[in-house]
Amino acid sequence: MNFPAGTWSPVPGGNQAARTARLMAYGLLATILMVLDYRGGYVSDIRGRTAVLVEPLLLAVEAPFGFGRRLGEELRSRHELQDRIALIEQQLRSREAALMMLEEFESENAELRRLLEASRRVEVAFRAAELMSIDLNPYSHRVLINRGRRDGLEEGQPVIDADGVIGQVAQVARNSAHVILISDPDHALPVRVRRTDLRTVAYGTGQINSLRLTDLPMNVDLEPGDVLITSGLGGLFPPGLPVAEVQTVSRRAGEPFARADARPIGRLDRARHVLVVATDAAGEGETEARQEVEPEPIADEAGATP
Amino acid sequence: MSRPNSISKSMLLSLFVAVALTLMPLPDEISPARPYWVALVLIYWNLEAGRLRHLGQAFALGLALDLLTGTLLGQHALSLIVISYLTERFRNRLRFFPPWQQAAAVMALLFNDRIVQLWVTGLTGDAWPPWSWWLAPLIGLILWPWVFLLLDRLRQSERLQRS
Repeated sequence: MNFPAGTWSPVPGGNQAARTARLMAYGLLATILMVLDYRGGYVSDIRGRTAVLVEPLLLAVEAPFGFGRRLGEELRSRHELQDRIALIEQQLRSREAALMMLEEFESENAELRRLLEASRRVEVAFRAAELMSIDLNPYSHRVLINRGRRDGLEEGQPVIDADGVIGQVAQVARNSAHVILISDPDHALPVRVRRTDLRTVAYGTGQINSLRLTDLPMNVDLEPGDVLITSGLGGLFPPGLPVAEVQTVSRRAGEPFARADARPIGRLDRARHVLVVATDAAGEGETEARQEVEPEPIADEAGATP
Repeated sequence: MSRPNSISKSMLLSLFVAVALTLMPLPDEISPARPYWVALVLIYWNLEAGRLRHLGQAFALGLALDLLTGTLLGQHALSLIVISYLTERFRNRLRFFPPWQQAAAVMALLFNDRIVQLWVTGLTGDAWPPWSWWLAPLIGLILWPWVFLLLDRLRQSERLQRS
């Protein structure tokens, strides 16, 4: 034993070879876990289950910082607050005016759709949420928000800020939720080019300020400055939300497809207040439909029993 | 004298504080240079108190850290078992180094860990971390003597209370 003077007992079974073997075993285990997590998310179940244990700790760390932020807001001068209120009221008025026009359009649109016998647009509800101060791994492209299952959040719900789409709810705990940003390399979002109605998919690149469009035909009509909006084809995102602006289109000779880089319009790295697009409006539509269907079998039964 | 592998209050406290500091919000510019607090605390307890020496403990700690920070499951576990292994390997030498030399050794450990983590990040196809990411071991070097003194004080006072 090369332990000095027996001050500390060696780790049980702790000779060098056994320890190296154990390092290998644990290293292998860690690698397997990483592969499982990376390829196909086999361990999302584990994450979901441990969220119950992890969440209180996150909230405990968050609490003092949330308090500090609130304190900072409390200490702001009255003048500053009044200025801000005036500014916000002004914005509200102009938005309201714009909204009145939109309401007119909306009723007109509904009427036209009825004439065309097209399906009704899905109505969406927004739920405000705030990013928690906690820093997750800066390379994971995930953020935490302070709304959870208690507020009716569900996995897959889109998350937007005032400018555009920023991500999608990945994992819900009771009072908090993980949001996966659209810039995550694992994230793909069905989009449409607003100008040309071209449908494609925007992939995350792992860089917060860029998305990638691949597999575009060589003769694609796409220019820098074109705006990408959600196409609604995935079924999760309502159509028409702004996503990104095309920066560059590259058609390299010798490659079968053109590709384009786009910059997200939503402020992925700076947004503090976000909106979760609740699809429960669509859910209500479904229950309405079910209610319309349900009376028939009851009537049948009523007719059958006498 | 406490048993080598018993879990004491001061150890739990120091681990909790390390995790809290890991999650603590920092401005975006310096966030990549956040020191690897959990590793510093782990190295301290291994070197000075002879606790947390099992690779299994380092592995579990790493998994907890992965779950908390939303990292790829296993990344911190891998990095911490490598740190734990190397600390244990050179333990007898490291313990008798003068403080600044020890700090330099800790920096080498942390730097090695950056390479391990970079390897994982590279394999998963994430973006290359910014240059300030490499500052973290240096900050670890500066912090090590203070972490050392603070935890030593904490441990002494606990031992006094116990006796």
